[in-house]
Amino acid sequence: MLPEQADILWTFVTIIFTLFSLFVFANVIQHCRSREGTNTVLWGSVFGAGFIVNLMMTNHMFDLNQQEQLGFISNQVLAVFLTLLIWGLFFKSENIESQSPPLIRAAFFYSTISILLAGYTNWLPQQRSDPPPKPQAIDASSLTMDIYVGMGETIVFGKERVAGSKAIGKGQCPLCHTFDAGDNIGRCPNLFGVEERSHTRIKEDRYLNDPIKIGEKDGATGIIKGKPDQVPEEYRRADASELTGEDYLRESLMCPSCYVVKGYGKAGDTKSPMPVINKPPISLGPVEFNAVMAWLQAKDTPGDFANVTIPLPTGEAPKKEEEEEGDAPVFVTGAEPIDEMINTLGCPLCHTIPGIEGAVGELGPKLHEKINAPNRIKDPNYKGKAKTGRDYVRESILNPNAYIVFNEAEGEPYPEGVMPADFANKISVSGLDKLVDFISNTQPEG
Amino acid sequence: MFNSEARSIKWLPWTLVLAVTLLIVPGLSSQAFAKEVFAEQAFAEEAFAKEVLAQEGEEEGGEPKVEWGQDVFYKDWEGNPLKGPISGFPAPELGEEDYNNYEFAPSRMLLWVANQQHLYFGSFVLAVPIFCMLIEFVGIRTKESDPVLSAKYDKLAQDLMKVSLTAYSWTAILGGILLFTFITLFPGFFKYMAGIFRPVMHVYALMFLAESGVLYVYYYGWEKMKDDPFLKWVHCSLAVLLNLIGTILMYLANSWATFMQAPGGIDEKGQFLGNIWHVIHSTLWNPVGVHRILGNIVFGGGIVGAYAAYHYLTAKTAEEKAHYDWMCYIAMFIAIFGLIPLPFAGYWLMKEVYAFRQQMGITLMGGIMAWLFIIQAVMIGLLFFGANSYLHNSMSRIKGSHRYMKYAKYMVLLLIVCFTMWMTPHTIVMTPAELKDMGGAQHPIVGHFGVMSAKNTAVNLMITTTILCFLLYQRANKKINVSWSTQGNAWIAAIFVLAALNIIFLGVYGYALPANQRVGLSVPQVTTTLTTLFAGTAINISMFKDSDSYGDIEWGTQSKVATYAIFLMAISFTWLMGLMGYIRSAVRLFWHVTEVVRDNSVDAYTLTIGEAGKMLTFNALFVWVQFVIVFWVGSLTAKKAPAKAPEGVPVPAQQQQ
Repeated sequence: MLPEQADILWTFVTIIFTLFSLFVFANVIQHCRSREGTNTVLWGSVFGAGFIVNLMMTNHMFDLNQQEQLGFISNQVLAVFLTLLIWGLFFKSENIESQSPPLIRAAFFYSTISILLAGYTNWLPQQRSDPPPKPQAIDASSLTMDIYVGMGETIVFGKERVAGSKAIGKGQCPLCHTFDAGDNIGRCPNLFGVEERSHTRIKEDRYLNDPIKIGEKDGATGIIKGKPDQVPEEYRRADASELTGEDYLRESLMCPSCYVVKGYGKAGDTKSPMPVINKPPISLGPVEFNAVMAWLQAKDTPGDFANVTIPLPTGEAPKKEEEEEGDAPVFVTGAEPIDEMINTLGCPLCHTIPGIEGAVGELGPKLHEKINAPNRIKDPNYKGKAKTGRDYVRESILNPNAYIVFNEAEGEPYPEGVMPADFANKISVSGLDKLVDFISNTQPEG
Repeated sequence: MFNSEARSIKWLPWTLVLAVTLLIVPGLSSQAFAKEVFAEQAFAEEAFAKEVLAQEGEEEGGEPKVEWGQDVFYKDWEGNPLKGPISGFPAPELGEEDYNNYEFAPSRMLLWVANQQHLYFGSFVLAVPIFCMLIEFVGIRTKESDPVLSAKYDKLAQDLMKVSLTAYSWTAILGGILLFTFITLFPGFFKYMAGIFRPVMHVYALMFLAESGVLYVYYYGWEKMKDDPFLKWVHCSLAVLLNLIGTILMYLANSWATFMQAPGGIDEKGQFLGNIWHVIHSTLWNPVGVHRILGNIVFGGGIVGAYAAYHYLTAKTAEEKAHYDWMCYIAMFIAIFGLIPLPFAGYWLMKEVYAFRQQMGITLMGGIMAWLFIIQAVMIGLLFFGANSYLHNSMSRIKGSHRYMKYAKYMVLLLIVCFTMWMTPHTIVMTPAELKDMGGAQHPIVGHFGVMSAKNTAVNLMITTTILCFLLYQRANKKINVSWSTQGNAWIAAIFVLAALNIIFLGVYGYALPANQRVGLSVPQVTTTLTTLFAGTAINISMFKDSDSYGDIEWGTQSKVATYAIFLMAISFTWLMGLMGYIRSAVRLFWHVTEVVRDNSVDAYTLTIGEAGKMLTFNALFVWVQFVIVFWVGSLTAKKAPAKAPEGVPVPAQQQQ
């Protein structure tokens, strides 16, 4: 359910509670009428009032959203328990032995078990999984190999990766592969040292002949093994005349069954269980595909990109989004709503910003600046000029490298130079004031 | 009395085996041979199509105009994608205009509720005719030896059918609601599905008509066909026909869901390749079908059990109490009988899921759905505890059961140990901080119990324990007199001890094998468990020949714990069924049809476990409210039973002495 909508379970439960109180009222009246000397008016008034209270509560529940309902339902649970208690007192005082009918007992039993199960599921760790974004346009001119390799890592692990974690990105690789020396979960080969292996593998007999020979076509993908010049054009490297380690990596991603590492395949290691990475469900486009390749070549030598043979994207590949949006430069005047301004400037790509829908980026720090900004100024490492939180926010937008925030989860600072330093050219003075006002007041939700 | 009761009861296992075999084996065998036979058939079809198209091309004096597409699932002889003539439109790229919604709830939730409610009722109305068929058959077989008991069985079957009749109309209404919800809220996607499944949908509607016709003849012809032996057999045959039509209906409807999860018969763009059987018979069709038949039996047993348990609580006379106690037993017997093979069908389904897409399997068992499987494990544990609790408590009303009651505590202990192992996760989605605390994705000690070797061992031991418990229940009031009783007991003991040792050995051995070989060990483990079921039951029943009775089962004295154990099982079945349905559906993640039609609606995300849990609870409670209404409506036509049994007349169980 969306936050502004009512919760289906609590709405159902509140209706059931009211029906229950009506049932109790009818049950009591029935008992009173069948017995002489019972104060029908008294008991009828008590349980009638109980019913009216429950009815009002249910009516109120209809006006609440799910979060508010969760807070309010406990009041009605209390009302129901009170009803039960007074019902018991009624039975006791009137010496009624045949008490609540089995239907009510069974209903309470059922409700208790199933609501406990719902409670159990809410007690467990909660994780919502959003669909992966569709391929986006990339500004090739500002890309460095460092960023490009980082993009590959993000595709593999997602945005929340920490060492040793099971974070899984769009590529879904860590579902089966491991990447650190000695690590293995037994599903697919460990990819530690894969760059080095890629050069020797193509000379092995097993690669040359199994499960299909060099020059033969893999039926499932249509890829011709060991022939880099016949790879589909958009994925083919320039001057692909000789087979290289890069080609082996590319082939492994585009045609997993062209070569299957011993012990990791099906049907006598002739079929790989791995999906084709450029086809659904993963469907990496050429730029994303090459980013993963670049990361595979660079991952075992952090900071050193000498082994990377993948070129940076040139931006020549046709991009639907680019075509549609045209080449108009980004500029916000301040007349736009704040969420539109922030989205136009692209902040949500890297930052989580409370109050902005979809702003859940993790590449940069979370923007909780109402709390963070005053603390940052006090940090001994802070060398900027800001004296107030607002000044700090303004400075961070216009001169992002004035202070680099430390990433507690990673145990290292956020990467320097990732945030563009040209926002001064993209935003008007009044727009900047509006943005600073908003960002300075952001704080964790809930 | 009890001997005659026992004689008739002993028919039930064999009848159940026969019925389940009739329903399931065609599916199993077709799956087993499907790949070989299919490859041959597909190759021939492809060659034939090419030939025809070439001829047409020649006749028209040009190249054939038909385009060829590659199947996303089916392969030819050489393992290459099967080709077929493109006979449909590509799957649409759905946009905002393809989704409608109401303000008060997301479309996805509304469709979920509509779907789940229809499935619950559908499951019930498919299960009840299976029960009726079995019970009526047992009634016919016992007519000569015990006419009173035979009439009792017949009446029970007829009563169940009466309830089912009201539920049947209700199911049809819910089906209509589901259809309208689908069409109005997801018009773009429905258009695509209707384009692919058009003929199946029409056949489905016609089969529904046939089902209704047979159902009405079966129910309304009951009284007229009751007395003549030949007509009675014809009547029972109608039940078989009713079940066959019901099974076909279910399989046809399943094909839509299995196509969405693991499509076949279309190409990468979603274009239909001209063979409707390929679309229907996609890779998960058979395992889902078998799993659902067993699930329906279990769920139906749970509902009938709860119905009987409720009436047991409200019964005013000893006669009524005895009747509903007995009905509880029959329902629980059927439910537990279905429950025992259900995990195996589940394994088969998961195996096929892994074979289709490994990452789909891992998403289920080790990815975002892993916690849901742990909840499933908890639920299955609850069911086994409920079943054993019912058996233990029910034994207390059988004279002679004291000989076996002392073992109950050990069985419960074993169940607890196995349950703990069964619900231990291997890997789960964790926060980085949690990962660091634990020192890796797996816990250094507990992690060893999270692998399939341990889980298979645990669940097989749980099932074996339940089987043992049932055998003890069966023989609780028997004084065995056969000359070979010592050997028989020794055989039963040996079978169970060796089975336990073998299951444990295979589980431990699994740790020494690579993952791909380890999977194979589940087959001998399952075989071992099934051996205890079949061999154990066979020996046990054979030993009852000429046995003396310690006393009658005191029908009508079922303990409250046993009664509430039935309620527990019924609500657990309901909740579990919703859970597994959600898992099966949600594993498509952001696809309407896996890898072919992307879900571009605002609801394309995967819910948190808590959100899903609340929906499951709502669905479970909501359906039970409806069941109560349906049962109440069904009871309006019932003849009022005498409020009190005449004095001096024994309870029905004693009448049969």
